[in-house]
Amino acid sequence: MSSDFYTASILPYAAIIIKICRAYTNTQEDFEDYYQEVCLQIWKSRDNFCEQSQWSTWVYRLSLNVCLTLLKKKKNSHQYFASDSLPEEAIEDSHAFADESLNQLYDAIRQLSEVDRGVILLYLEEKSYQQIADIIGTNPNNVGVRIKRIKERLKKLLHGKVN
Amino acid sequence: MEKSIETIWKEGFLNSDALVAPKLNDLYNQKSIHIIDKFKRMFRVNLNAIVVGSLLFLGVSFFIGIPIMGVGFFLVSSVIVIVNKRLSNGLESIDKNVSSYQYIKAFNHWMKEQLSVNRKMAGFYYPLFFLSMILGFWFSSFDGKLLGEALVNKLILSYPDTYLLFGVPLIGILGVILGVCLLAFFGGRIYNWDVSLIYGRVFKKLEEIIADMEALRS
Repeated sequence: MSSDFYTASILPYAAIIIKICRAYTNTQEDFEDYYQEVCLQIWKSRDNFCEQSQWSTWVYRLSLNVCLTLLKKKKNSHQYFASDSLPEEAIEDSHAFADESLNQLYDAIRQLSEVDRGVILLYLEEKSYQQIADIIGTNPNNVGVRIKRIKERLKKLLHGKVN
Repeated sequence: MEKSIETIWKEGFLNSDALVAPKLNDLYNQKSIHIIDKFKRMFRVNLNAIVVGSLLFLGVSFFIGIPIMGVGFFLVSSVIVIVNKRLSNGLESIDKNVSSYQYIKAFNHWMKEQLSVNRKMAGFYYPLFFLSMILGFWFSSFDGKLLGEALVNKLILSYPDTYLLFGVPLIGILGVILGVCLLAFFGGRIYNWDVSLIYGRVFKKLEEIIADMEALRS
């Protein structure tokens, strides 16, 4: 991968990739692996980018797909934790951000199902229901209902932690 | 007042340190180490399976009265294991302190050499396995007689004109020679097929990684 491509086409969207990768990993080491893999897949798949969608939307979609694939691979090799039974050490290890509330929110997001994580990340990034539906591959009505449920679940998970 | 998740998200990322991208270094390191470790593991398991299998068969062959086949299989398998064990020592000597690309290329070079040696050997050991099998059955006992002799006697009764060479029907000898020649000729191809069944996916993955790495370097 040329550094020009990385600087021009990936780095401006690094925030998106970081936010997604953080939601699917518990440790810094895993996060860096996922980040690298996403960057690599963007570079490898760049010819498949269709001009009809925005580059950022495409990056979102690809990042989510790569993270889901890596997560699946890890689960298959029995190295990963079930999404709704995160062990204590994994949560302790996930203090990636200076903002404690954000860390707690991420801990809660990691306890959602893989798809719900993707949906809520897109919602928090202020993507429209239509864009989320396009990226996830569903319809906007379902997205609205889903987001409502996810937010309720997150509130429950965060209850008592965030003031 | 309780913050909404939207507020936590926005405020949390106001700190620019939260979104520092990790450096893209050691790309493929994990992949290459993983794939090579997987191959080493499979290679070791395969050799152990040959040793255990040939030993078991050796024991069983004496028990069921085909010891020549058991001994033949055991000897040929032992040669395969010894040669491959020596080849695998070369795998350990690959320098792990070089870059991923150099490491995986060195591994690929070793693998090609190993495949080439085994392919050549296959032209010998498949015929030898075949001969062990034929001799094993020929010299096995049947109704207090050797199975080979019993078959010849039966054949002569039905076809008295059968030409015998050293007490063995010439047609049988020609058949065995043909079998040996075919196996010697196609041994390499049979080996390729055999290897692709066991290691095919690993080889494919390895080729993909090398192709990716070469594209990355260009």
